[in-house]
Amino acid sequence: MQPEKFYYDNKIVRNFGIATIVWGIIGMTVGLLVAIQLYKPGANLGNQYTTFGRIRPLHTNAVIFAFVGNAIFMGVYYSLQRLLKARMFSDVLSKIHFWGWQLIIVSAVITLPLGFTTSHEYAELEWPIDIAITLIWVVFGVNMFGTIFKRRERHLYVAIWFYIATFVTIAVLHIVNSFELPISGLKSYYLFAGVQDALVQWWYGHNAVAFFLTTPYLGMMYYFLPKMANRPVYSYKLSILHFWALIFIYIWAGPHHLLYTTLPSWAQSLGVVFSIMLIAPSWGGMINGLLTLRGAWDKVRDDVVLKFMVVGLTAYGMATFEGPMLSLKQVNAIGHFTDWIVAHVHVGALGWNGFLTFAVLYWLIPRIYKTNLYSKKMAAFHFWIGTLGILFYAIPMYWAGFTQGLMLKEFTAEGMLKYPSFLETTMRILPMHVMRSVGGGLYLVGVIVMAYNLAKTMLQGSLVSNEAAEALPLEPVYVKQNTDIWHKVIERKPIRLMVLSLLVILIGTFIELMPTMTISSNVPTIASVKPYTPLELQGRDIYIREGCVNCHSQTVRPFRSETERYGDYSKAGEFVYDHPFLWGSKRTGPDLHREGGKYGNAWHYNHLMDPRLMSPGSIMPNYDWLISQELDTTTTAAKIDAMRKLGVPYAAGYAQKANGDLDKQAQGIAENLSKDHIKVKPNKEIVAIIAYLQRLGTDIKANKTANNNQ
Amino acid sequence: MFKQFTENISGNQVYLITSLAIFLLFFIVVSIMLIRSRKDHNDYMSDMPLHDSFVKPDTTLS
Repeated sequence: MQPEKFYYDNKIVRNFGIATIVWGIIGMTVGLLVAIQLYKPGANLGNQYTTFGRIRPLHTNAVIFAFVGNAIFMGVYYSLQRLLKARMFSDVLSKIHFWGWQLIIVSAVITLPLGFTTSHEYAELEWPIDIAITLIWVVFGVNMFGTIFKRRERHLYVAIWFYIATFVTIAVLHIVNSFELPISGLKSYYLFAGVQDALVQWWYGHNAVAFFLTTPYLGMMYYFLPKMANRPVYSYKLSILHFWALIFIYIWAGPHHLLYTTLPSWAQSLGVVFSIMLIAPSWGGMINGLLTLRGAWDKVRDDVVLKFMVVGLTAYGMATFEGPMLSLKQVNAIGHFTDWIVAHVHVGALGWNGFLTFAVLYWLIPRIYKTNLYSKKMAAFHFWIGTLGILFYAIPMYWAGFTQGLMLKEFTAEGMLKYPSFLETTMRILPMHVMRSVGGGLYLVGVIVMAYNLAKTMLQGSLVSNEAAEALPLEPVYVKQNTDIWHKVIERKPIRLMVLSLLVILIGTFIELMPTMTISSNVPTIASVKPYTPLELQGRDIYIREGCVNCHSQTVRPFRSETERYGDYSKAGEFVYDHPFLWGSKRTGPDLHREGGKYGNAWHYNHLMDPRLMSPGSIMPNYDWLISQELDTTTTAAKIDAMRKLGVPYAAGYAQKANGDLDKQAQGIAENLSKDHIKVKPNKEIVAIIAYLQRLGTDIKANKTANNNQ
Repeated sequence: MFKQFTENISGNQVYLITSLAIFLLFFIVVSIMLIRSRKDHNDYMSDMPLHDSFVKPDTTLS
């Protein structure tokens, strides 16, 4: 049989590479801006579009889906072609994939600062963009499987299994976490509410980390590390075990984001157990990577690419050891909601994803441009400043997390909270926030130097858009061999591999999600919990628009330190009308679930206008635009109708009367404010958000009053 | 022994035990696959990234 000549498509790899660098710089710059706002709120540039709550999701989406996303496609398009010895299935699909993905990112850059958000973390983009993501993901899948079908290599290397698992699992996660009922062109409500919505979100959220930030990168590691070190992967057997165990276990771990909440305790336990088990396959992968360098450690001293890989793998090992530790309830009680989690995430993002991406870029760009790297010194500088940046970022954040987590739990000998003011704990950690932004700044400088270095590399070489290659075609009919057993069969059957991967992730998904979704005893209802009034509902949507959930949780955990500070711990039945849930994942400010009735309307008005008037030293930004902007009441009827469809018990025909009630309640608040010499028209947005804040957590209080009166 | 397990499982703990049992079974199946895999095939697979372009006929297994 004669070898066939064909050409690898390097242009698409280059395009995704450039997009990785450009979006990386943008995403990290936005990250630096939000980091500075956490000690200098005036750094919001004085307007709503660049304020923390709106652009923190822009930062996370930009680094996850734009920087890491493009890097994944760069790595996949390069390695897939070579491992399968075939050009990508369709150049047109490659182009649609590339430009479609960039358009999705641009739409995120536009809509998130404008306040169009679903509020689900890492899934903030609204429903039309969700549909676009689905379509582009399908294009990617067709292109990938098309290439697999026309391959010249019978067996699929382990990297490709990771790519297939990524494709299929992200599709499932994205679709299930995008069950939304549209209200208008860029606004929707999630189908699930409260506890159920929280479970779906964190099943998604954790597995976005697993199947977007981890599995495709492990695939890239299994391809690029052997290439870089010029030696085969340490253990192929370990890679099989690593792959199946990792995808099986990861899918169950989501509930560790919801420990001590109102999620049924069996689901919490399930999340904890599987999170701890996760350490085994994670470290299996890390060890397999590091041991691939056996006998090549001398190269690490001189080769900056391998340096990036070693630190990246070490960061992966640290983050995947820390994750299970943070899932232990006792550790989680201190670490959750604090900067500890921010440190944990960034060790993974900056170390593992960032450094692996840089290694691949430094290795790949000179090769497809048939030249040498422009400056090794600059690359070495990037490595050191990047490593320092990670340390300057992570260490202060760990310190801040421990400090604040412990301060919030400390009692005096008399049994009173030692730091009853949340703000006092925040002010204690501000120096650490300053240092963190220095660390982030160093890291960003490194990336900019890399961009310059790679741009110069590209300019001194010329792109080999179509790289010639040769390989033997596959035999048209496969002759089965006696040794074709077990995994060897799966490796040459891509669809079987995909279906098996799908089955593996669906087992965990069903056992974990279905009982909470279907068994009513898992979410006990409370008679006194009533739907939000139209004004409160509108206020809630402003709360979502402004991204308040990025800094304020709405779930009081059953600790004495929390019930003393905030009030009664949260119950599952309180959230049954919350489409979406707004429990949050970080307390930069205090929990707000029992905020209702704690302060007067005037306090909230002044606090939103300038938080430092009421809480000197606060790092919350001014929300003065809420005072000048008018509430859009044209959407009220559609919102009530949508809520009715989702099962919220508003009376039939109430949608048409809702604005009447809204005006009445707004008038009442405006009159109440006027008693404190605050003149505000009832049709302003601030009135709606005050109504919502005053409602928070009061249904239970009403219940207690009713019981006491009996 | 199993009677002791089943009698002591209360309420929703059945989900937890079932999940662990499913994983154990899955893990055993994968382990058997690994034990039964052949060394020459494993070597061939692990060398794959190092052979980008031309494949020598004597290194192809199928």
